[in-house]
Amino acid sequence: MSRRYDSRTTIFSPEGRLYQVEYALEAISHAGTALGVLATDGIVLAAERKVTSKLLEQDTSAEKLYILNDNMICAVAGMTADANILINYARQAAQRYLITYNEDIPCEQLVRRLCDLKQGYTQHGGLRPFGVSFIYAGWDPQRQFQLYQSNPSGNYGGWKATSVGANNASAQSLMKQDYKEDCNLKEACSLAVKILSKTMDSTKLSSEKIEFATVGRTKDGTIYHHIWSGKEIDALLKEEGLAKEEEESG
Amino acid sequence: MASGYDRALSVFSPDGHVFQVEYALEAVKRGTCAVGVKGKDIVVLGCEKRSAMKLQDTRITPSKIGLIDTHVCLAFAGLNADARILIDKARLEAQSHRLTVEDPVTIEYITKYVAGVQQRYTQSGGVRPFGISTLIIGFDKGETEPKLYQTEPSGIYSAWKANAIGRSSKTVREFLERNHKDDMDREATISLTVKSLLEVVQTGAKNIEIAIMAPGKTIEMLPAEQIEQYVKTIEAEKQEEQAKKKPGRGGPAGAASLPSRPVTEQEGSTGV
Amino acid sequence: MEVLLGITGKDFVIVAASKAAMRGASILKSNDDKTRPLNKHNLLAFSGEAGDTIQFTEYIQANIALYSMRNETDLGPSAVASFIRSELAKSLRSRKPYNVNLLLGGVDPISREPSLYWLDYLASSAKLPYAAHGYAQYYCLSILDKHHHPDISFDQGMRILRMCTDELQRRLPIDFKGMTVKVVKKDGIQEVEYDTSKQVLSA
Repeated sequence: MSRRYDSRTTIFSPEGRLYQVEYALEAISHAGTALGVLATDGIVLAAERKVTSKLLEQDTSAEKLYILNDNMICAVAGMTADANILINYARQAAQRYLITYNEDIPCEQLVRRLCDLKQGYTQHGGLRPFGVSFIYAGWDPQRQFQLYQSNPSGNYGGWKATSVGANNASAQSLMKQDYKEDCNLKEACSLAVKILSKTMDSTKLSSEKIEFATVGRTKDGTIYHHIWSGKEIDALLKEEGLAKEEEESG
Repeated sequence: MASGYDRALSVFSPDGHVFQVEYALEAVKRGTCAVGVKGKDIVVLGCEKRSAMKLQDTRITPSKIGLIDTHVCLAFAGLNADARILIDKARLEAQSHRLTVEDPVTIEYITKYVAGVQQRYTQSGGVRPFGISTLIIGFDKGETEPKLYQTEPSGIYSAWKANAIGRSSKTVREFLERNHKDDMDREATISLTVKSLLEVVQTGAKNIEIAIMAPGKTIEMLPAEQIEQYVKTIEAEKQEEQAKKKPGRGGPAGAASLPSRPVTEQEGSTGV
Repeated sequence: MEVLLGITGKDFVIVAASKAAMRGASILKSNDDKTRPLNKHNLLAFSGEAGDTIQFTEYIQANIALYSMRNETDLGPSAVASFIRSELAKSLRSRKPYNVNLLLGGVDPISREPSLYWLDYLASSAKLPYAAHGYAQYYCLSILDKHHHPDISFDQGMRILRMCTDELQRRLPIDFKGMTVKVVKKDGIQEVEYDTSKQVLSA
């Protein structure tokens, strides 16, 4: 029944809906989970990495977490190829801002730039929308630490804790239960791995299956972002008692 | 019945419809409700706020009410992302107008501009119309007469004493038709705005946003506590009325809950 | 012979500009305001080619206002200065560059810190505690060198400004018709009454 209104994106259905956008959302709900948790002194982003083959090189480059500029990182759920285009666009927008104003782009503005581009693809020229949702973590002097989420329609919103991708609903309800407003970055990290361990298929996690990144403040007050190495992730998993047993894997 | 005439935009169907524009109006009706009310020397916008989920950060979630220039304010109903683009265009036009003619835009001018952009998107190739209606309020430079306009996806614009767009706008408009008076003062105007929104917003003050414009001043967002105050007085009044209506029965306890109307989704074209 | 002066202090920036509008050796107007507010706490003073100054500062003003509307937040002085500098640099490499010299006085909306930027038509930009454009540099910088201190109060700042304008009245060969004086503090931009009717005799 809906066939007639979903072949081209720039078309409203009789109920005033945009099917292409809704289908893009549907595609994302099958992608690996990504989540973000806001703490008082930082933000943590975590994502599930789908290991498709043992032969795949497990290099250090993250495939779901990206640095946008000096004060912002993001997590991706959906089509990675689409994400690459958008991330490239965001990085350029951030540098353009830096070159004109000589300061880092405020987080919301960068999110908005990206979302305006996404919106364009739902309105113009018979193109399909971008099949990605993002979770952004960043800091700026005006609003301090901030967590945003955006989706293919070009909508965005601010969150204290949020998730996208497969098992999104159960991740959200776990967050609703366990999130504390005044948690610190360390507590946020353990909340993030706990939720991942519950939403992913396997109960035991390893650094091969997840990616982790944090935005925080160093002792001297400067803002840092850091994409965790495999070793660091394993150490955290061990601490939380969620690591895969050595013997098991051997 | 539509058979193909809704696939491309700039095409009339044999019975004279431009379907995409009509479908865009459906997107508007799916959006949250926005109300605009004119008083004597004040004009108020009220918006239904989607109830924030527990983990949402309300501090950094964008609002449905936006400032176009210091003296013009806009509220919309429909697709959020579309609105952002349209508001941005309007803001650019407002400043560009200041630069070229050294005067701030009149409310009618900027309304015409917004409507013009919306119209263009109903007649150009390869685009869909904007899925939003807007209410634009403000005061022209040096004037004390409040202005309130509405624009629609088709590009139609019109001036109103009070009007509503979005979900259940028909219910709210009918309420406004019954209750709007000319020359209301500040209190009465805000109160009527809140009251009309309560017709469709069952959850009370926490889901209402109020913006006020007065001559020569910029936007004033009413703080949550004050909205709460208005809601309380309105509820008390309603209870009193109800108690008066049925004196013999029940007493005040029976009228504890808000009288709620059934939410009617369908309504005729909001065209003028 | 236009005069632009800027002085920062503990919690303020004073921006002053001469009131004479000149063309060649004639004075066309004696109450010219060579300043423009850009947003709540950024003030721009300009001198240079008559048409260019207005055209350029109005363009800057519109863009800063547009930023405020779009982002519901105001740019701080450092960002405004960078933006102006990049626009001047663009203009400098165009067919017909703007001939505009500027002083930007502002208070940062977040840190509340006052700052003053000196910009010229070659797109130089420098953050300074006090600054002047044109002939005023020759007469005033030495006074400012001697008397200025980062922690001066507003009254002290005005006293130093008086020393500067007295010296200018004493030394400049023509009457610059007094000064428009404005001050930027954390709660906004204000005009300051400034009387230069008293005759200052040359040495």
